[in-house]
Amino acid sequence: MKKQNLVWILIFTVLAAGGLLWYFSLGHGVGTVAVVSVNGEQLERIDLSKVRKAYDLDITTEYGHNIVHVEPGAISVSEADCPDQICVFQGKLTGSGIPIICMPHRLVIEIEGGDLDA
Amino acid sequence: MRKTRKLTLMALLTAIALTIFVVENQIPAPVPIPGVKLGLANIITLITMVLLGKREAGVVLLVRILMGAMFAGSPSTLLFSAAGGLLAYLVMCLLVGRFGSDRLWIVSALAGIAHNAGQLLACVLVVKTPGVFAYAPVLAASGVITGVFTGLAAQSLLKALKKLKF
Repeated sequence: MKKQNLVWILIFTVLAAGGLLWYFSLGHGVGTVAVVSVNGEQLERIDLSKVRKAYDLDITTEYGHNIVHVEPGAISVSEADCPDQICVFQGKLTGSGIPIICMPHRLVIEIEGGDLDA
Repeated sequence: MRKTRKLTLMALLTAIALTIFVVENQIPAPVPIPGVKLGLANIITLITMVLLGKREAGVVLLVRILMGAMFAGSPSTLLFSAAGGLLAYLVMCLLVGRFGSDRLWIVSALAGIAHNAGQLLACVLVVKTPGVFAYAPVLAASGVITGVFTGLAAQSLLKALKKLKF
């Protein structure tokens, strides 16, 4: 009984630590092409390495409103009218790996891996 | 248990779960990772399952999810919380008898993983962007961590209720 509990504690610890390590090791991929999509539909495709001056994109759909900030080498959500603001707190995306998601607005911003450049 | 007593208890548990859900929604997310939340309302699902039964817990969960979306969420988040809630509920039903009420933390941790898996799956289906799966490991981790704590909270609550000869 006690031993069984220990086994579970071990499994859970490994899972939790592994998941967190994985997450923090991602997001540094080599891609530069950012794709902004809402509900699976591609709205914008920007090569961040070719951006010279920062600008804002206004993404307004039936699901909600986000302002996407594009700057040389990075992309982020600077404003959203969703209640949780998680997409804003996610900060800047500079490499492929982990996308920015605004679940209530079905918005996804991801940077494609280097090989997939079109 | 008499029918009226059971119905009253279920209504009370639903109200408590809904309150927890709405209040938790007002707390800013502890970490900026989409899909990560404490899931405190899960405590009520667990104790309902132990005190009243699986079917009753399912009803309380369903009403909480539907009314929770009305009070605090949006139609598009209803889909995610329903997918997560359903999967977590199935896992709880399968495991609660096997582990018993003194090892609810294990059931709860596995249900937490199931919840986040269901939520992620629904999200990927909706946004049609497989890249979102990059969140799977960290969501599994958060499901385990929050699940263990809500499970332990449910256990303490059950112990306290037993002392009250509930």
